[in-house]
Amino acid sequence: MKKILSGLAGLSVLAASAAYALPEPGGIDMQPAASALAEEVHFFHNGILMPVMTVISLLVLALLLWVMVRYNSKANPVAQKFSHNTLVEIIWTGIPILILLIIALPSFELLYKEGVTPDGKQVVTRGDGQTVDFVFANDFPESRMVKRADHLQVLIDTGAERRILKNRKDFKVEGWGEPDLVVSLNEPAPAGSSVILRGGRSTQNAASCPMSKRFIDACEKEVVLAPTMTLKVSGYQWGWTYSYPDFGDFEYSSNMLPEDQTTSELYRFEVDNRVVIPVGETIRVTTTARDVIHSWALPNFALKIDAVPGRFNETWFRAEEEGVYYGQCSEICGVRHSFMPIAVEVVSRPKFEAWVDSQRALAGLDPMFIDDNVKLAQAGASAAAE
Amino acid sequence: MADAHAHGAPDAHHDSHDHTPPFFVRWFFSTNHKDIGTLYLIFAIIAGIVGGAMSGLMRWELAEPGVTILTHWTAANPADVQPGEYAAAYNFYNVLTTYHGLIMIFFMVMPALIGGFGNWFVPIMIGAPDMAFPRMNNISFWLYGASGILITTSLFVPGYGSNLGFGGGWVMYPPLSSNTGNPGPAMDLLILSLHLAGASSILGAINFITTIFNMRAPGMTLHKMPLFAWSVLVTAFLLVLSLPVLAGAITMLLTDRNFGTSFFDAAGGGDPLLFQHLFWFFGHPEVYILILPAFGIISHIVSTFSRKPIFGYLGMAYAMVAIGFVGFIVWAHHMYTVGLSVNMKAYFVAATMVIAVPTGIKIFSWIATMWGGSIQFKTPMVWAIGFIFLFTVGGVTGVLLANAGIDHYMHDTYYVVAHFHYVLSLGAVFGIFAGWYYWFPKMTGKMYREVLGQLHFWIMFIGVNMIFFPQHFLGLQGMPRRYIDYPEAFAFWHGISSLGYAVTLVALAVFLVTMIDAFFIYRRKAAANPWGEGATTLEWTLPSPPPFHQFNELPRFDKNAAEFH
Repeated sequence: MKKILSGLAGLSVLAASAAYALPEPGGIDMQPAASALAEEVHFFHNGILMPVMTVISLLVLALLLWVMVRYNSKANPVAQKFSHNTLVEIIWTGIPILILLIIALPSFELLYKEGVTPDGKQVVTRGDGQTVDFVFANDFPESRMVKRADHLQVLIDTGAERRILKNRKDFKVEGWGEPDLVVSLNEPAPAGSSVILRGGRSTQNAASCPMSKRFIDACEKEVVLAPTMTLKVSGYQWGWTYSYPDFGDFEYSSNMLPEDQTTSELYRFEVDNRVVIPVGETIRVTTTARDVIHSWALPNFALKIDAVPGRFNETWFRAEEEGVYYGQCSEICGVRHSFMPIAVEVVSRPKFEAWVDSQRALAGLDPMFIDDNVKLAQAGASAAAE
Repeated sequence: MADAHAHGAPDAHHDSHDHTPPFFVRWFFSTNHKDIGTLYLIFAIIAGIVGGAMSGLMRWELAEPGVTILTHWTAANPADVQPGEYAAAYNFYNVLTTYHGLIMIFFMVMPALIGGFGNWFVPIMIGAPDMAFPRMNNISFWLYGASGILITTSLFVPGYGSNLGFGGGWVMYPPLSSNTGNPGPAMDLLILSLHLAGASSILGAINFITTIFNMRAPGMTLHKMPLFAWSVLVTAFLLVLSLPVLAGAITMLLTDRNFGTSFFDAAGGGDPLLFQHLFWFFGHPEVYILILPAFGIISHIVSTFSRKPIFGYLGMAYAMVAIGFVGFIVWAHHMYTVGLSVNMKAYFVAATMVIAVPTGIKIFSWIATMWGGSIQFKTPMVWAIGFIFLFTVGGVTGVLLANAGIDHYMHDTYYVVAHFHYVLSLGAVFGIFAGWYYWFPKMTGKMYREVLGQLHFWIMFIGVNMIFFPQHFLGLQGMPRRYIDYPEAFAFWHGISSLGYAVTLVALAVFLVTMIDAFFIYRRKAAANPWGEGATTLEWTLPSPPPFHQFNELPRFDKNAAEFH
């Protein structure tokens, strides 16, 4: 019963969101990127690997065609006898090494961005129209301290708009790499606005950065904040269990919807109870499994992490836009391996909180996010009823 | 030409004095390397038909979304499949992927390249009368036969529930392959089958190493040895070093299953990932075991039909040694998503990419061998040129997959399926066909009709590219591997891929016709050297087919002459 109710709760949130990220029929490219990090993966594929792979394949093809035309027995009846040429051998050993280095540098950068869970920190202060100095406690471990301009972002949020300030032009910083970092704005923040300082070594290129700028590494860097929540994923034959340890550890299972309960487009992707997460926040995902190995995959986030019995694996992602994203189990796990999809619904923070409270209610827990006044009123009402 | 270097009598006059044993003794107690090679080739052809039929069933099922085909084998009444009966079809599909992989790797490519061509031509190429241990050669083959019987039996006994066969992928990861996932005897039989196949290959490898180190004709130093012998030597070392690790891993799996140990059982303090590390420590060298002999064959064919010595001989030989060595230290690139630490992944990315360098040397050296040559586009040569291009395509996607940062997207999708079929199904298999058409006249003493060989190549080239190129698109779109059924968005390219299988089937029919024609209709006798001055290795100095015993008097090489390959 609890399972059915939580299913309904999941679907009610779903009704409001319209954006679905699905593979494209007959598509030949990667699924659209739904995070800044996935954009970097796309750039690595479309901007670096694909051109290199295409050029090498075409070069080999062109050389083969050339020797076939120029050196066939009609065009060249007498074969030459050479069998060594030190120079070309050095060239075709050396150039591939250079090409591999060109691939390796962005590859390692990407790997570490994916593999290190962000630890960025945000400090929000109210502007009063006068104060120009704001302090950021640089209390990271030594190897993760804010030391360079890319490690720090300063934003001003006036409520109406949010502006990213530029280092040197809009503010100066003193104390890079020291325990207290002082940001001095050139102009005081307007009264009532919020001054947001974000610092940390976990940075990535903004999702909007065009390809041309990515080539020369001229993208605006954004600091990725530490996870705001953990999603515990547990695979079983043949479905997933999700739990939210930060919100009372409520838990529900997620299974594929049968053919007659969904559209032909969504069949084999859609589930009864989706994962629900807030937009724009870093989510820590931990996976494990109860019986055999499964793999939790979301192509839109370029994410795939095995769920292994007896182990907790960790990864992270951050969705940029609301919508529903799909994946499928990616490690053979037995008979119904093809039928244990993954569906993640990304919603706004208020909707997420409402959903969390509805799930907590199903688990017999008090609401967590509801306003104190409403809580008091409810308490009064229930007291009166008694 | 060979005769310029070899002073040994080509044994032609021995032909009429050959005393071949009676049929049963000759083929069942055989100690003759050529007969054993023939047995291996027949074994590989049968396994190839079985493994190919399995892929046919899979492509048929995958032609359209929905589960409609395999139910014909699993449901009581295929016209009216009950909802409860689908699980058997799902399991059957998993069984097909598993056995297709195992059969093609262990029972088709390895017996064809190493057991078949290796046995036939390594002793001849190095000027030896036979293998070093002829009786061990015999037991190697028959262990393979026993192994084949075990894997076939395993298909027909329960694995999961009452479903027949083990459906957990050729990698056999526990806990899916332990009592948790597949408690039935199918998995136990599979383990025993692989034990025997492994023992067979280890014995074979010891035989090749001993033969190559000790039985080369006088004057043939290692640095003058033909590249095919080099490729088999490197392969034999990979087999001897990697197969015991597989044997250890599956033995632990066997004791986990039957004797209460918990090497891979987390509940008992074990770790399922230990199996993956052990498996891929074997599994990665294994993929080079499958392709290195093909490298050797392609080198000879390219040189023969370009009428030019192989370019950069030493570089070619040591590129194979380098590939073999590096192949042992890159195994965890198959495991980027299992939860390795990021630093460990970074190491495996770097090590894996290094392999591209010696592989590139081989590709470019083949082209340089053709450069300046006088190329004849005979059937073996078109297969070899096809091999070079397709292997390049499979190679560059391998460089992509080496990068863990993007492999988190590609891992276990059809992109991986496309990649390894480009290097194996289009690489190793094209190498096998190239070798088959190259040595067919030598082995059988008969020519095939050139036009049929060419037709076989072109239909197969189109067919396999139709099967596997669209699978890159499916992988990029996120289609996971080993799925019997898929969302509709993937239907288009799956349809094309299945159509490609039909084309490939036509190509294989042409192959069978070519062979039947060669034996029974065309019946043209092959000369000792049908390929002309470019064919310089020792097998072309013997008549076609070679006498039952060759080199009763060893050929001698002038130590100061250019290398002999």
